[in-house]
Amino acid sequence: MIWKIARKEIKETLREGRFRIAGVIVLALLSIAVVISYNYYNYVQDQHAQASTNTRNLWTSQDEKNPHSAAHYGTYAFKPKSPLSLIDQGVDKFTGISIFLEAHRRNEAQFIAAADQTGLARFGDLTPDFILLFIIPLLIILMGYNSFGKERENGTLKLLQSQGVPPGKVALGKWLGLYMPILFLTAGLFLSAGLMLALTPNFGMFSWTALLLMTLVYLIYYGVFANLTLIISAWAKSGGIALVLLLSIWIITCLATPKAASNFADALYPYPTRQEFMADVSEDRKKGLDGHNPWNKEAKLLEKETLEEYGVDSIHQLPFNFDGYRMQKGEEHEAEVYFKHYQLLKDQFNQQSHFYSMSAAVSPYLPTRFLSMAIARTDYGLHWDFADAAERYRLKMMEALNMDFAENSAYGNWAYKADQSLWEGIPDFSYTPPTIGQIAVRHLSNFLLLATWLVISFLGLFWITRKL
Amino acid sequence: MFKYNFIYEWKTLIRDRWVQSLGVLLFGLCLFASYNGKGKVEKRKQDINDAMATVKDGDEAMLLLIDSIQAGLPVDVPSWRQPVQPTAVGNYHPRVVAFPPAPMALVATGQSDLFTHYVKPTLRGEAMLLNFTELSSPVQLLFGSFDLSFVLIYLLPLIVIAFTYNILSVERERGSLRLLATQPMKLVHWVLQKSTLRFALLSLILGGCLSLSLMMNGVSIIEQWNQGFSQLLGLSFGYLLFWFALAFLVNLLGRTSAVNAISLLGVWIGLVLLVPAVLNQLANTIYPVPSRAQMINDMRVLKAVADKQQDQILAEYLRNHPELVSVEAGTEATAYGWWQRYFAAQDVVKERMQPLLEKYDGQLKRQQQWVHQLRVLSPAILMQDGLQKISGTASWYYRDYRQQVISFAEQWREFFLPLIFKDEKVDAEILTQLPEFQYEKPIAGLPFGVNLSLILLYSCLLLGLGFTLYSRQRKEKLLLT
Repeated sequence: MIWKIARKEIKETLREGRFRIAGVIVLALLSIAVVISYNYYNYVQDQHAQASTNTRNLWTSQDEKNPHSAAHYGTYAFKPKSPLSLIDQGVDKFTGISIFLEAHRRNEAQFIAAADQTGLARFGDLTPDFILLFIIPLLIILMGYNSFGKERENGTLKLLQSQGVPPGKVALGKWLGLYMPILFLTAGLFLSAGLMLALTPNFGMFSWTALLLMTLVYLIYYGVFANLTLIISAWAKSGGIALVLLLSIWIITCLATPKAASNFADALYPYPTRQEFMADVSEDRKKGLDGHNPWNKEAKLLEKETLEEYGVDSIHQLPFNFDGYRMQKGEEHEAEVYFKHYQLLKDQFNQQSHFYSMSAAVSPYLPTRFLSMAIARTDYGLHWDFADAAERYRLKMMEALNMDFAENSAYGNWAYKADQSLWEGIPDFSYTPPTIGQIAVRHLSNFLLLATWLVISFLGLFWITRKL
Repeated sequence: MFKYNFIYEWKTLIRDRWVQSLGVLLFGLCLFASYNGKGKVEKRKQDINDAMATVKDGDEAMLLLIDSIQAGLPVDVPSWRQPVQPTAVGNYHPRVVAFPPAPMALVATGQSDLFTHYVKPTLRGEAMLLNFTELSSPVQLLFGSFDLSFVLIYLLPLIVIAFTYNILSVERERGSLRLLATQPMKLVHWVLQKSTLRFALLSLILGGCLSLSLMMNGVSIIEQWNQGFSQLLGLSFGYLLFWFALAFLVNLLGRTSAVNAISLLGVWIGLVLLVPAVLNQLANTIYPVPSRAQMINDMRVLKAVADKQQDQILAEYLRNHPELVSVEAGTEATAYGWWQRYFAAQDVVKERMQPLLEKYDGQLKRQQQWVHQLRVLSPAILMQDGLQKISGTASWYYRDYRQQVISFAEQWREFFLPLIFKDEKVDAEILTQLPEFQYEKPIAGLPFGVNLSLILLYSCLLLGLGFTLYSRQRKEKLLLT
């Protein structure tokens, strides 16, 4: 009986002209979105590949110079684009693409794409995630808002009951009838996106597991919407009221809550301005060792300690160039300062994330949004991970340069020059993003939240339809 | 008949609690939105004030330090940071170059969460490459802000749709349409009268809610009447009219309530969500901004070349700027020799970078122009454009601010260059002559009225279309059968 009801629902949906039109429109939009994203991905990927090669060439082809001058000249770390950004571009538009790695300073990623666009960029983009997150739930609402209403209006509900079908089965049948077309649509979309990714060379580290996980997230999200739609449809007195109610739910869930949550998160856990952040860092830097300033109190202290450690009376007698050594110690102090201040930022970010998770009680959109971005490796967490990796690389690079200076020259010999072999000896920056397993573990709470939504909404559906 | 219709409609709306719930809903939304907007504006003001206060403290300390140095007292500051050196003042005591919020800035967050509102250009930084984006969570940028412009652009049309989608269809569904048809008036007039009353009512509620919530958040609407408040009201009423006109037309098509609601919602998705997104993407595709990654490389190559040719560059530079030549010019051994080479090289890099940077600005400008022309495709974009103009948070305000920063940075450098090249010391008197930045409000591009007129024009077209359809297709009959 369940299947019969489901089949009847699907048939009705397929027969009705407006659903056919809506379905075709959604499919067309999705295809356009995928094609646009695909082209954009290739465009950005080419740029990155070229820029990375050029940067490396610039670094290795430096003339002979003092290693510390090379440290100041620095190099760039470029953030690779992840294959699944084809489906969800996440916050990529709002995070920079490259980090300048230089001596003494941890820099923020530069060149935010949104800053190079017009104000329209803030309306959003026609990307697959936009369709998946906003439009398909709307399609579910349009398909199902009258599911119980029409039976009631046509008097067929009584007919159904007279057949002795238990209400739970009716509900399940209706649910399947609403969900199956969406399931096929989603599965088809993800499958074609997967094939597209797998068949295109140079599309980075694509994994079917990640794609499958992402599909699952969206399927749960749609399950929640299907439940909500049927709950309201069974509860409301007329189709019109059900539609208006469901649209209100859609607006609150997908549009209003994320914005309101972002306002609250920002008000509760604000970020400092860039200038404040820089001022705080430089204040802390001043308190410690400055590699460039031999007269600074900390530098004198370091000198004394080093002399004692090596049991010599003058820095000229040390087995290495104290200038380079001090430079390295200064770098270590600065790294600690940056670590501290970035940790403060990260704490704010974690608090904000926590707040978003709590807001998920009002909106299943939020956990879905965060999970989708995380699996696509386009979320803020991944950006942090990349920035941390770049910082680790920078510190290693600075150490190699400073120690070369310290070990191969005498104190006071600023004229010392290293050659190309040193530049080439420092390996190129490469970034390996966290595995899908690590991401899944990190976002377990969002998974649980979404699953809770599914379970509770299912219970709600069976409860409300227990007496039809 | 007209009078009865009005009275009947008014009584129904009151008894169905439409008026009360609309009032509460809109007031709640407006109050929450303007409170959020105010929070952001207050933070912006506070940040700027804090920065100014820090500079003031720094200046006082600097004066004391200069006094001590001039008096020959020992100081605990390395020589290159002592404020008698012009490079130290130029680099370690920069001015705050701030973009203060407009009086009505709380209406639309616009690009204000993306870009910074104050920078402190030094002698060292190339001002044109300064990072103008603010340190904010990208998640917030992605979600956007719940501000008045969100309420007006996104939510208001939905409220109108919920309020009007079944004006006519509900009568047929209840069976009272035939009764209505017996009255001595055309159905189209009846729908128009009902819609007009609802429009007037919603305008009144909206106007009240906007005024009240702005006042409660510290905006004096009388003072701001000519500074944007009247424009805010005008735009909001115009936009409201547009959606009412659309609902009027859809009602006259004579479909069921559900079809009406779905059609109106479809138009809403198209105009508010899809058209802006597609336009933005087209703008990026037709006028793509060149690769920033490539720009970095080009700049580094230029810098490396300039580094190698420093001596030659300095010689040429001094030939072009004889006023800057001092006795010791170009002595590499001194710090001044180093700074002289540095500034000379900076100029060369800047000059060579200019065409590249212009390419970026050019593409952005073309994007902006293109979008500006095509904004007529959606009243939502017209609305966004208008509201951001009122708030002073549109992209081009930030581009203009950037230009102002660049020219101030230039001024700052020009002030110190002669001092540096002639190796002069800074004293209290020179400090009083330091350049100060004054933000100048740009003159808005097109007059604001264009957007409003366009929205009104669309509304009239929709109303006209409604009447034509009605009379052409003899809908009267159609509606009743």
